[in-house]
Amino acid sequence: MTFERAAAVALAALATLVSMPGAAQPATYVLDPERSFVHFELLHFNTSTIRGRFGPLQGAVVLDPAAGGGEISLRINTASVDTGLKIFDARLRRDDLLASDAYPEAFFVARQFSFEGGQLTGLRGEFTWRGVSQPLSFRATRFACRVDVEGSQTCGADLQAELLRSTFGATFGLPLVADTVRLVVQVQGTRR
Amino acid sequence: MNSIFLTATTALLFIAAPAHAQPAPYTIDPTHTFVTWEALHFGTSTSRGRFDKKEGTVEFDRAGKTGKVDITIDMASISTGVAPFDTHLKGKDFFDVANHPTARFVANGLAFDGSNVSQVTGTLTFLGKTGPVVLKASRFNCYMNPFVKREACGGDFETTIQRSQWGSSYGLPGIPDNVRLLVQVEAIRQ
Repeated sequence: MTFERAAAVALAALATLVSMPGAAQPATYVLDPERSFVHFELLHFNTSTIRGRFGPLQGAVVLDPAAGGGEISLRINTASVDTGLKIFDARLRRDDLLASDAYPEAFFVARQFSFEGGQLTGLRGEFTWRGVSQPLSFRATRFACRVDVEGSQTCGADLQAELLRSTFGATFGLPLVADTVRLVVQVQGTRR
Repeated sequence: MNSIFLTATTALLFIAAPAHAQPAPYTIDPTHTFVTWEALHFGTSTSRGRFDKKEGTVEFDRAGKTGKVDITIDMASISTGVAPFDTHLKGKDFFDVANHPTARFVANGLAFDGSNVSQVTGTLTFLGKTGPVVLKASRFNCYMNPFVKREACGGDFETTIQRSQWGSSYGLPGIPDNVRLLVQVEAIRQ
């Protein structure tokens, strides 16, 4: 869906905002590459927040709100890191941080979804990065579905989580560059 | 001889002393200064973008609690990670970079909480219009940067603007009026 077409039906789309897939069956969603990114934030010298992003994410989402469940699987190309500074990106890809040569992809897979009143509130799964797998929980700060211009159901969410990069072995720059990394995820998909 | 020396020394001190009470000049560190915006996409998820090219100066007197800021953003340096989205944003519907290549934030209203900047009140010029903007600090600090061996001061600032106040109305209201700006800034003392 182009931005232009989307804008043209903005009011209609908003008017038909639906809270959830109506069907009782699980629904599969294909990720929208324009709206599926992982952003990260971490403190620099306890002073200002460094930001960067990975994406577009690849993966699939299944939502089954009637059963209070779902499944999400995301693949993150670690070399796609983009901070706005090529020299910084190149440094991040090295072995003591993203280790993009040895571990070109990071993965997040979750099958524990929390719903409250039809709204996704969080999900719990496993994050694999640099060959290390650890449990990771995301809070859903936003979740909504709507019918897009083509009549397809589109659902999107904003998710947040924190991890300690040292526990995955990414130790360069500690402690001047913080250990705590905040992940801010935009994910949006269209029902197949 | 002695008195000439003393006079010269006194004169130097006289020149040097007021410098402490005056704002010190800082230059924006472009590697730790970014403006990121967040806008809700049709109520479902938050889209983000970042401006990669910027320059500017800050004058800052921590003791006197005064200062000023002047930062210019190259609007064509927008980066969302999606090339067609960047192209659309640079076009007439949004930033119109052909006619308005830069946006500029100018401020001389620095508020302090103790010795830390807590708020910066200024004006944003965007699409040829100038309007008021108040940036609130969520964090502020100064430290000795070991790489450049100079003091760096900076923090995280944020504000939410209504883009329609600058004449940006494309796609309202599905593409919302409110745009949240997250500003990372660090500046190196010159």
